Amino acid sequence: MPGSCEAAITLTGDLHARPAGSLALLAAKFRSVVELTAGANTADAKSVLAVMGLGATRGQQITVRAAGPDAAEAVTALIGILAEATPVGG
Amino acid sequence: MSDEARVGIVLVSHSAALAEGAADVAGQIGGGSVTIAAAGGTDDGGIGTSIARVRRAVQCAAAGAGVVILPDLGSSVLTVRALLAEEDFADPVALADAPFVEGAVAATVAAAAGGDVKAVLQAAEEARHARKL
Repeated sequence: MPGSCEAAITLTGDLHARPAGSLALLAAKFRSVVELTAGANTADAKSVLAVMGLGATRGQQITVRAAGPDAAEAVTALIGILAEATPVGG
Repeated sequence: MSDEARVGIVLVSHSAALAEGAADVAGQIGGGSVTIAAAGGTDDGGIGTSIARVRRAVQCAAAGAGVVILPDLGSSVLTVRALLAEEDFADPVALADAPFVEGAVAATVAAAAGGDVKAVLQAAEEARHARKL
């Protein structure tokens, strides 16, 4: 049964272009639909331009929400990369 | 996602520096697993486009999975169309109607994720709707 899963993290760095690329690449590996929400904005995590367009910055809370057969794995992986990737600028 | 060949990206610009710079940016964001070939400027290095440079770039980017070409504007489009009309490449080759930098980034990430020509083309063309602000 497909399920949904969600978790949140506070960014320790800005979600710049390179972290957005890493995140979109990782999200693309999952079959689930994966969304990121920052403030009032929600983006498809598999779209690098949409992730950049969130304009999410350090200290902001990001929610990762996934729905589909590998939702839990997708949320765990994306929270992991958000925790480690965002201190890198660019 | 597979370990097979990735779709290659060709960036065609009036300026060699613009094509190479966009390729650098897209390569950084896309993680470096995709061949991005820049075809900018005329044969003598001026501002303009060169069908020979585009041909070499397509040959460079083709790894068996296909090639998506992004032109900057104007005669870049005409040059690519002229090339595609006169030459049959072994790989499927598609011309994207997309903003140059955003399209290059989106296409590169889609190619790095293992997308086929159709998926990479779609990612590039969806960049038309991406907001910066």
